[in-house]
Amino acid sequence: MAWSSSNCVVHAMQSIRSPTVLRALLPQQSAARPNILRKVSLLPTPLQQRTNVRNYATELQPGEVQAAAEIDFEQFKARPARIVPVSPSYFSGIPKFYDHLLQIERLLAQHTTLPTVPPSEAPRRAWMKIAQFREHLGEEVPTKKYMGLLKVVYRLNCIDPKLLPAEVDAALQEFVRPGNPLGEKPKPRELDGMGRARGKGKRKESHAVVYLVEGEGEVLVNGKTLNEVFPRVHDRESATWALRCSARLDKYNVFARVKGGGTTGQAEAITLALARALMIHEPGLKPILRKAGVITVDPRRVERKKPGHMKARKMPTWVKR
Amino acid sequence: MVSPFCWGCLTRLRPTPRTLLPSPSSVSRGPAFHTSAVFHAGLRPGSGRGATAVSKFRQPSNASMKKRKKPVEKSRPPPVGERKAIRKRIVLSNPNALEVEGLQELSEETMVDSRLHGTALALPVPMLDQLRAVQAFKPNQGWSIFRRPCTILRQETLQLGRFFDKVSGDGEHKGPFVKKKIISGPSKSGKSVLLLQAMAMGFIKKWVVFTIPEAQELVSATSSYAPLSEEQPHLYVQNEATAALLSRTVVANKAVLSKLRVSQDHPALSAVTPGMTLEGLANLGVQDPASAWTVFQALWGELTATAAAPGLEKNFTPRPPILVTVDGLGHWMTESKYRDAEFKLVHSHDLVLVRHFLRLLKPGGDQPALPNGGALLYATSTTMNPPSVYAFDLILKRAAARAAGFKFNDPRFPRAEAYSNIDPRVLEALTSQKSKHAQEKKLGHQVLGGVTHDEARGFMEYFARSGLLQETISDEWVSEKWTLAGGGVIGELERIGRRLRVAA
Repeated sequence: MAWSSSNCVVHAMQSIRSPTVLRALLPQQSAARPNILRKVSLLPTPLQQRTNVRNYATELQPGEVQAAAEIDFEQFKARPARIVPVSPSYFSGIPKFYDHLLQIERLLAQHTTLPTVPPSEAPRRAWMKIAQFREHLGEEVPTKKYMGLLKVVYRLNCIDPKLLPAEVDAALQEFVRPGNPLGEKPKPRELDGMGRARGKGKRKESHAVVYLVEGEGEVLVNGKTLNEVFPRVHDRESATWALRCSARLDKYNVFARVKGGGTTGQAEAITLALARALMIHEPGLKPILRKAGVITVDPRRVERKKPGHMKARKMPTWVKR
Repeated sequence: MVSPFCWGCLTRLRPTPRTLLPSPSSVSRGPAFHTSAVFHAGLRPGSGRGATAVSKFRQPSNASMKKRKKPVEKSRPPPVGERKAIRKRIVLSNPNALEVEGLQELSEETMVDSRLHGTALALPVPMLDQLRAVQAFKPNQGWSIFRRPCTILRQETLQLGRFFDKVSGDGEHKGPFVKKKIISGPSKSGKSVLLLQAMAMGFIKKWVVFTIPEAQELVSATSSYAPLSEEQPHLYVQNEATAALLSRTVVANKAVLSKLRVSQDHPALSAVTPGMTLEGLANLGVQDPASAWTVFQALWGELTATAAAPGLEKNFTPRPPILVTVDGLGHWMTESKYRDAEFKLVHSHDLVLVRHFLRLLKPGGDQPALPNGGALLYATSTTMNPPSVYAFDLILKRAAARAAGFKFNDPRFPRAEAYSNIDPRVLEALTSQKSKHAQEKKLGHQVLGGVTHDEARGFMEYFARSGLLQETISDEWVSEKWTLAGGGVIGELERIGRRLRVAA
């Protein structure tokens, strides 16, 4: 909070005297007419002098400077009439958000002439999700406003990385998720020292880990053979589908650990894990496996039951009264 | 009660609520203490029955649909025993299946021919009656989808065939060898069919074949039993089961037994005459179940004799080797369902028939188990819901460890867990000791797994040639099915192969 005197006249005079200076700082104007910047630099009163200018009410002649009397805080006469917030957007309810918005809008206005790259070539950064951003600021930012802010952020991110000013980079960094998950690509997985590829998969409530080695088509699931674990032939087929559709069933041995869920979920969790492990051995098979539908994750889970319903969707029978 | 009329002006006042004055014509009588609900129900338009249809207003209603009563079955159930007969029926031929061209039969030559490894061999037609008599076929083995019963010559079968050849052959390695083996393995891995193949080989080689097709039936308290004698009241004899065993043996081994004559003294059996055939001897037990156990002992004594009793030499001919197969050994390793006089459960090893066959299995006895050679093949069963017996599992694990080369002193050799409450009788009955006879080996253990890729291919080709599969049998196709069958488990291969696919 800043202290301000109760003298309204002083404020009024200030606002009259400073508009040219302040207007020059407004991003929209500078964006629209960048030649104003030049005018600003030609102004007779630089920013440094503003404080002096402001204090014209207590102006003294340079020669007759005298030390002020010691301030007696016990009898502090000039008590502030009201407390003025630091941020002009304080009364908007989400001041930090607007500060950020204004800051990047100003940056965009400043650097709008810089050359850009297409969005596909812009550096990949994982921007904060709305919930994360709300937590970061501690303010209930509406989703729509955050999306508007992100549009500006996207535009700034498209500035040619070679010419990206440091201040823009720093400002953008503010909106990147901690850790920046998309920043660097994960290392391609490799076989371990014993020639095993490891893949993990999930489906419904089941989790599977598959170790794939070269062999002649033996499959062990939790230490048991395939027919002991899956009495249904369909489940056996779906568990080994990645190898089957790429005609590799007799070239690899599978060792799988699977837990949770039911029979079908376990079989399909193995499918996914097996396909991922197979891609470590042979990355070139990815298009085939993609087409076979074994590397597409099925994220569906059981829908929750709702109050008033018998199940997730089912309603009790309608009765007239 | 206030009158509805104002007596001053004779105008009617506010009408009385009708609930107070139910008109008897429109409302049927409900309970006297409670009228309103009945009244409303009666007033409701469209209610056909009037006051009797009382709706549940704001009351919990059962959302589930009211179940209709199932119509009562009027027809009579099938006669007693018919359902079981259908369940146990064994169909060995399917006239719709194609006849496989160039199919070879199991014979003395083919059962040891390693060039035929992995091909299907038909069981000789005259032998089918013998195999039926010893109940070698089981209902769920899929015999009914082919033209005639065939089995695959797998590696284990070839080994068995070579052993049969060695025992009954006339080469220089001939001798009364005895093979004692417990066959175990996962479900549907072909244990019972391996026993069947052994029986077929036994019939080919003219051995005497004794079988226990369902070990469970001896211990499940479904046949009569009695104490053996006054002296041994804790042993129990099962006369009917013994008579059934004798009957099976006689019918199946008629050709062999009718040529052998009684050459020992049998003081316990007065009906035995010198010069009687062994078939006649066994028939005594079939006809009179009360003496079945004595007859069985006599028959066994005759078949294991190496020389005649004095005075009966002219009746003696060398005895053939014996094959004993038991299916479902695990059932014999725990208490039976029979009760003794104190209503305690009788241990399976106290049933004399079970005890007899288990004694044969134990090496290290003073007498050789089969002095004339032969084989004891005892298979475990997974489909007949075997009891879980820790001691038996431990014995199988130990046998596997011994086969893998671990000595008893090795720390990795399986030992009984502390406080596992292990059954000492089971442990004692099957613990392998060093045999005192050169011809007898230690108790062996064979784990039957899946078939190899080549055998699976031969099996699938047999399906295709029988007209059950309309697919091109290639190596990739076979290895895919091999994997889906859990590593070539032959029962699973059969299940996959019999799913008829019509080529579009």
